[in-house]
Order: sequence, then C-alpha cells, then structure tokens
Amino acid sequence: MAKVAREMVERAGINVDQLLELLVKNAAAELTTYYYYTILRANLIGLQGETLKEIAEVARVEDRNHFEALFPRIYELGGELPGDMKAFHDMSACPPAHLPEDPRDIHAMLTVLVEAERCAVRGYTNICNLTAGKDHRTYDLSLSILNEEIEHESWFSEFLGEGPSGHFIRRGETSPFVSKFLR
Amino acid sequence: MREFTPEELARHDGRGEAPAYVAYEGRVYDVSASFLWQDGRHQAMHGAGTDLTSSLNDAPHGPELLEQFLVVGVLRG
Repeated sequence: MAKVAREMVERAGINVDQLLELLVKNAAAELTTYYYYTILRANLIGLQGETLKEIAEVARVEDRNHFEALFPRIYELGGELPGDMKAFHDMSACPPAHLPEDPRDIHAMLTVLVEAERCAVRGYTNICNLTAGKDHRTYDLSLSILNEEIEHESWFSEFLGEGPSGHFIRRGETSPFVSKFLR
Repeated sequence: MREFTPEELARHDGRGEAPAYVAYEGRVYDVSASFLWQDGRHQAMHGAGTDLTSSLNDAPHGPELLEQFLVVGVLRG
C-alpha cells in the first residue's frame, strides 16, 4: 500500500473504501469481458464475422490491459482482489457479455459488444466524476481507460449503423492511452 | 397500483429474501433480477429500498435504463 498516497485521497474527501469497491468491480468487468470476448471473437466467423473479428480482438486485448492497469492501483490504495475468482466474476460492474443464442446473427453479436462497452463508459465516467481534482492518479488511470472504452463503443456503434464514429481500426500500438500504466 | 410509503419501500432492500425495489419520480421499480443490483446494491454507492430521484441526476446514465424494469407501485409521501 502507498500509505501517504491513500491518505491524500482520504483528505481530499473521497470515501476510499467505496472507491476501492468500484475499482475492484470494474477490474472484474475488464477481466470477465476479456474472457467473454474471447468466446465472441472465436464465433465471429463467415463473411460478416470476419469484418468484425479484428476490432473485437483489439477491444478484447485492451480490456485485458485495463485489468492489468487497474489492479496495482487497487493495492496502492490499500485494497485487494478477492481470493475467489468466482466471487470476482459475480461482482463485476457490468453484466457478462454472453454469446447470443444465435452467434451467426451479427446484429445480436454487435449488440452484446456495444452494450458491454457502454456499461464500461458509464462506469469509468462515474469514477472520473468522483476522483476529478481529488485523486489525481486514479483519475488519470480512469480517464485513460475511458478514452479507450469510448473508442470501443464507437467502433461497434458504427458497425450497427448508428452513425459515423470518426475512427478507424487501430494501426500500430494497442492501448494508446493505457499503455503508460503497463510498464 | 400498489402504494408504498418510504418505510415500506425501505423493507424492499434486496437483502436476504427481500426483493429489490427502487423509486424514481414517484414510481417504484423492481430491480431484483438485475445483475447490477445484486444484494440490493448498485455500483458501491446506491441501495435498493430508497428513492433514487435525486441520485439519478448525478449518475452516468439517465432514467431510460429504468424502463426495462417492472413498475410495481407508486411512492406515497
């Protein structure tokens, strides 16, 4: 634990135990999403699936990176990951991104993907709102993750025909915003 | 439509066997089946059995997310 770092956050008026609960729940959401996106990506087959496969893979790997970036902060603030992985799964901040009944229904697949990202966008917006100006490190981390989740949402939203996202698939490095936390 | 007092609503806090109800702008919603309301708690900050009308103003989402839940009554008082 970073004792003084935690104290600074407390002195800024943040309920650190509540913040830790949110960070753990969102870390659970990231790791479980990584797992469920593995299944989703594996089932993105055929001509339609192929168009989505690479973007789903980028989102999958970046969500795993989000977990990797989050958990050190949890320990810095004096928290911990649950000892039981099943309990960790069940406390996720977002519902499981289960494979739809018909994986060949590309619209259903996209809906699962976009709703998972939207839950994440809401979650990190909330953490940013709570920590802005008070817990600078958690804010920086959450904002970095939020930037990537917004891009994930926009990719899938565009595939659903909801409107242009202004984005292309990533070229070059993965996790352009979060990578600084993955040293 | 069933009427709930704040005290009656508080008994539906999602703990143990109790269903999880929340109120918003006078309507009472059953959120028991929601993954995001397990044990009557939501995102470490909100509890079932309460009126969330003012809390929703600060939430990272609007009231449209409540539309998926069954309205089980109205909040009186």
